[in-house]
Amino acid sequence: MRKKLISMLLCATMVATVATGCGEKPAEDNNGSGTTSGAGGATSDSSNAGDGGSSETVSLRLWGAEEDQDYLQQVVANFEKAYPDQKFNIEIGVESESTAKDTVLTDIEAAADVYSFASDQLADLVRAGALAAIDDVGEVLAKAGKTLDDVKSANAPDSIEAATIDGKMYGFPTGGANTYFLYYDSSVISEEDAKTWDGILAAAAKAKKKVGMTLNSGWYNASFFYGAGFTTGLNEDGTTTMDWNGTSADGISGVDVVKSMLDITSNSAFMPIADGQISKTIASGDLCAVISGAWDSSNAEEVWKDGYSATKLPTYTLGDKQIQMAPAYGYKFEAVNAYSKNTGWAVLLAEFVANEESQKLHFDMKKQPPTNSNVLASDAIQTDKAIAAAVSQGDFGVIQLVGQKYWDTTKTFGEMVAKGKIKAKDDAAIQKALDNLVDGVTAPLS
Amino acid sequence: MCRCLPLLPDAGFYNEERRGVFMADKKKSTAAEAVGGFFKAVGGFFSSFGTAVAKGDIFVKLSLLWWGAGYVRYKQYVKAIIMTALEAGVILFSVFFASQYVPKFGTLGTVKAEMIFNIDTMKNEFNDYDHSFMILLFSLFSFVVWFVAIVIWMRNMVNVYKLQLMEENGEHINTFKEDLKLYIGEKFHITLLAIPVLGIVVFTIIPILLLVFVAFTNYDQQHMPPSELFTWVGFSNFITLFGGGGLTATFGYSFVRVLGWTLVWAFFSTITTYIGGILLSLLLNSAKTRFPKFWRLMFVITIAVPQFVSLLLVRNFFADDGIVNTICSNIHLTGFLRDIGLVSTDHIPFLSAPGWAHVMIILINIWVGVPYQMLIATGVLMNIPEDQLESAKMDGAKPFQIFTKITMPYMLFITGPALVTDFVKNINNFNVIYLLTQDVYTTTNQALANSQAQEVDLLVTWLFRLTQDYYNYKMASVIGIVVFVICALFTLVAFNYMIGGDKEGTYQ
Repeated sequence: MRKKLISMLLCATMVATVATGCGEKPAEDNNGSGTTSGAGGATSDSSNAGDGGSSETVSLRLWGAEEDQDYLQQVVANFEKAYPDQKFNIEIGVESESTAKDTVLTDIEAAADVYSFASDQLADLVRAGALAAIDDVGEVLAKAGKTLDDVKSANAPDSIEAATIDGKMYGFPTGGANTYFLYYDSSVISEEDAKTWDGILAAAAKAKKKVGMTLNSGWYNASFFYGAGFTTGLNEDGTTTMDWNGTSADGISGVDVVKSMLDITSNSAFMPIADGQISKTIASGDLCAVISGAWDSSNAEEVWKDGYSATKLPTYTLGDKQIQMAPAYGYKFEAVNAYSKNTGWAVLLAEFVANEESQKLHFDMKKQPPTNSNVLASDAIQTDKAIAAAVSQGDFGVIQLVGQKYWDTTKTFGEMVAKGKIKAKDDAAIQKALDNLVDGVTAPLS
Repeated sequence: MCRCLPLLPDAGFYNEERRGVFMADKKKSTAAEAVGGFFKAVGGFFSSFGTAVAKGDIFVKLSLLWWGAGYVRYKQYVKAIIMTALEAGVILFSVFFASQYVPKFGTLGTVKAEMIFNIDTMKNEFNDYDHSFMILLFSLFSFVVWFVAIVIWMRNMVNVYKLQLMEENGEHINTFKEDLKLYIGEKFHITLLAIPVLGIVVFTIIPILLLVFVAFTNYDQQHMPPSELFTWVGFSNFITLFGGGGLTATFGYSFVRVLGWTLVWAFFSTITTYIGGILLSLLLNSAKTRFPKFWRLMFVITIAVPQFVSLLLVRNFFADDGIVNTICSNIHLTGFLRDIGLVSTDHIPFLSAPGWAHVMIILINIWVGVPYQMLIATGVLMNIPEDQLESAKMDGAKPFQIFTKITMPYMLFITGPALVTDFVKNINNFNVIYLLTQDVYTTTNQALANSQAQEVDLLVTWLFRLTQDYYNYKMASVIGIVVFVICALFTLVAFNYMIGGDKEGTYQ
């Protein structure tokens, strides 16, 4: 079976490389014929360039999430309308932004020209050389009547910063507030109670309901540490940095944070939810509060009806202090494949998917929180409870830049806390667990 | 087995022993024979090639350069054209294809990809960069082509020399048509085997060789074509695996544990489904069972449902908040287990705690695997010589005795090779483990987690995660080779033991 798997993988790569290998030739030929025709018929070519189109049909492939397909079709139709002089053949494929990296890195040359990816994949994609640096190709935006600076200033500064590595922007922000916050049933938990873990848990216990949160995922459990001033980071070689086993900039020790987490998990009203099971658990109706993202807003609204509310993450008790949890806060970017055969048009398409008109459409159709400042300021955004809660966390949310080694180790650490494998009284064991965690996360890649 | 042998209760034992003796010396001879025979065949091929070159006439010698020369001389024009075309093909292939890749094989490329955006063409313009993986793959492909070409070339010499001898002896030389006829007549086996052999070369041998080569490179996340190059690193990946600290700080720790569970799993999953299948088929074959066809159908239906569907369903049944846990908690089983200290949570961690998960995986696998074994066992049981069973009954053997002395030895004899295959298959049983534990099982062992392993991982699922999530192709190849060696050794030894000797005679 293993042999089969590997040979399948290798066969697949073989087939892919053979396909791309063969595909490379015509591309080179195209280049060749392009230059010869340029030499032979320079006048016609330059006149075409002046029109902003050329006689050649431009083929592009665009990947987006399954649920966004109808939205993307509309965007592509608008894009084609915006450049009436150019013939396009744009093919839309399904690839969720959360798994884009895995597919792209399998074979970069076979990946789509333009695709959507979540901000936590940025560093890996850049390191593999999969993304075109927008700064290097930004001049092509003149065809859209813009400059790169226009694009940068149209979006929330944080989103541009998140898309930038070493001073170069590697994707157009299309969506923001990829984060989690508190949903609660206001018939059980008052607005005041919802501000602290203690208040939430007490109210839930009184109503014999549960409060749910996913702990066995480094995306969720990091919020306790980020809130206390701990950090994670990414080195140039792809390894991760982490300081959770020490003392944070705020003078709080990691052990104390874990103790606070254990206080919460040992409360009978707390229910740890396995990664990926949140929606299912909300639907069961046992919960009166849960920490989740904008994608669960309709689930929560269905269960809690009039009581449905959403707000920023609560604070947790650490000694005599209240610490505001700080969520991982991510963005969605539209990438341009560095190995695209039509880089220029790919950049224009990616920018188009990320522009104000498309972001507004995306919010209207799919409730995708935008990054464009004008769309962010619109009434529709301000009145949506979930999105307002998500966007409100932009100020203290943390752009989580971590490497691959981060995920399995933090997952296990969260599971240990959720299952009570470490005890709040045993400082030495907590310290040991944190040391192991940091060892695993910061280990060299191979 | 002859009827004349009295069917004493210990007849089976006697047979075992006798077989064992025969087998011991037979095993040695077969292994040695096989290896010796292979080298003899290779040596013979080379020597006949040498003879052909030395003793051949001018046309035969010319065939060294022009493959078709000898055939032209002996008037086999069609063959001459085919061989000439083949030679031309190989030369063209070498000049226009292989020459792009093979010279770079030693370094796997030196020129990194660079690109400049050209605003006029609206395209990225690349330098003529090297793609390490393509170089590796197409070099390998060229080697295989050249190897085949050399064999054909040598073979060609031998054939042409044979023609010379035939002519000298005044024998009839076949026309092309007559030759073709041979391939659907006498030499039909060659025709039959041609396509499978080609398939094996393209789809098995080349990928395996590629896998072996990758194990000696630094192909990983930091060295991913096309943007980066990878190169040869010798044995350092193997040293990493077996010595120098391992892939991660806790790699050695994890490797031993994962290997241990892999073997435990392979043993129990094979044995349980095997025994279960035999018992089930005995039950269904028994004269007392009513509607045997109906029951058999029911079990076959479980095969008809795709395995991954049933596994995912079962995984949901046994999830921490699944239906089985709900039932257990409603009938107070969960509470009882908690009282006696077997469970510490408010659910039974069927698939989410070590120990529990290990046992459950094996149990669930019984349910998935038994129907297959039942079908096999049914077929075999129907073929047990009736006379043996009858005479045993006449001699007063109890059903249990018949089972242990006749049925089981017979079953083991017939299905032994399949049992070995099953064991190896289970070492690599990706589906069951991955589908039952993915997204459900989270290890709380930090040492394992730091190597991206879990208590329930087999080598193959670990390998999958290492490659899928970490793009660590070089270490995946190394582990792949290790698994291959383990499986190959086991299979060799077991097959030699099971079907070596004169066992085939025993039950005739």
